[in-house]
Amino acid sequence: MILGDLLGTPVHDPDGGWLGRVADARFVLDGPPHQLMAEPRLLGLVVSPHSVASFLGYERNGLTHPWLLARILRWRHRGSFLVLWEDIAMVGPRSVRLRPGFTRYSTALEDRRQV
Amino acid sequence: MKRLLGVALGVLTAIGGFVDIGDLVTNAVVGSRFGLSMVWVVAVGVVGICLFANMSGRVAAASGRATFEVIRERLGARAGLANLSASFLINLMTVTAEIGGVALALQLASSVYYLLWIPVAALAVWLVIWRVRFTIMENVAGLLGLTLIVFAVALFLLKPDWGALAGQLAPSVPEQETVWTYSYYAIALFGAAMTPYEVFFFSSGAVEEGWTVKDLLQERINVLVGFPLGGLLSVAIAACAAVVLLPAGISVTSLSQVILPVAEGAGKLGLAFVLVGIVAATFGAALETTLSSGYTLAQFFGWSWGKFRRPAEAARFHVAMIVCLLIGMAVLATGVDPVQVTEYSVVFSAIALPLTYLPVLIVANDPQYMHEHVNGRVVNVLGMVYLVIILVASLAAIPLMIVTGAGS
Repeated sequence: MILGDLLGTPVHDPDGGWLGRVADARFVLDGPPHQLMAEPRLLGLVVSPHSVASFLGYERNGLTHPWLLARILRWRHRGSFLVLWEDIAMVGPRSVRLRPGFTRYSTALEDRRQV
Repeated sequence: MKRLLGVALGVLTAIGGFVDIGDLVTNAVVGSRFGLSMVWVVAVGVVGICLFANMSGRVAAASGRATFEVIRERLGARAGLANLSASFLINLMTVTAEIGGVALALQLASSVYYLLWIPVAALAVWLVIWRVRFTIMENVAGLLGLTLIVFAVALFLLKPDWGALAGQLAPSVPEQETVWTYSYYAIALFGAAMTPYEVFFFSSGAVEEGWTVKDLLQERINVLVGFPLGGLLSVAIAACAAVVLLPAGISVTSLSQVILPVAEGAGKLGLAFVLVGIVAATFGAALETTLSSGYTLAQFFGWSWGKFRRPAEAARFHVAMIVCLLIGMAVLATGVDPVQVTEYSVVFSAIALPLTYLPVLIVANDPQYMHEHVNGRVVNVLGMVYLVIILVASLAAIPLMIVTGAGS
């Protein structure tokens, strides 16, 4: 199974309740990139109840223009949350189940722009 | 002189978009059937392409990234592939048509059957792409294409009733036409003005020329000179047809009828100019669309691309273009009418518009790419308005094509 297969997979809470579908995977870089490649670590999955289409970059807080487009894209992903890899109990081909007491983190990304 | 030649990229891009073989004929068809009642569509198209070409040029100058790289990054692999399939198919159809167009124009000049000119035309296009430097290519093709201005000269020499001509400017459907055919041709003209290969070519050309934020003024001049000029040429062609062909009841089906008004108005000398202009414009459009095919493929798959590299360093880019030219020749060898091919391609391009221009608008607002050169408020409002227009045109294109039997 590759990570891309996970996109669109339904996500359930420990009791089997439907939470949404996997819209994205979030990575972090623990240090500066090495000589050949950076070493990203899978932080968790983005779960979205309404749409699994791309955020098109609007998960970053700093992006608010064009206003209407930003509003539409954010509205499509209303209610979406980030769940950490540690909170995932089981990843199967047809569903992802979370551990009891999982935490919903915000999907927003701080925009660290370098001007 | 340097400033003057500095607009060559914009001029060549616009000529390829506004007065390539399909548009030459479409403009004349529109003029002979609808008079000048569709000039407003060209105006809407010119503003739209200026808006988005300027955005994509600015993205290229600020981030060094061409439009299809941006599309691939923002829409992801799947939607990017959908756009690539559509855009590439349109490009390929247009390449085919333009080679046929060069051949048709050479037939007009030489009376040698156009099928015999096709290998010559394709070989010439390939040689230019393989050997000639980008700046020389755009200067020569752009300048020679400008001889099409003879359509505007001919319009004056025809001494039309200017008042009556101006009276046609109001958008209205002529009696013998239906609102459906009117809408169909309106979308065709709009699609032709905003064909995606223009922004692919323009932004890739900006990368080829190594534009940076220092060249933003130059970029804006390119856009504001090139595309309105292209629009002006296409209106002049329609006006010539409206003055000569509409009253005579001649409906345009071939290239020879397109240049009829010039021959009547400006005589032999005008005819000579218009032949040079048509050969140059179709040749320029052939270069633009062939290069666009290579650019989009290479930028989607991440191959090294560009004429600034030696062919050996961008081998897949060059092979892709050679294959496109060969396919174009093969299609033309079946005897299909080149003019018909572009008329379809223009309508199909209307369908692919939203997938091309949405990512451009999004990235032009992204400070990580653009730093302080993000879109201003007015540009964003206009961009959103055009996105809606583009979406409507794209959704209406195929149904209208079916309802009107492709405008007949």
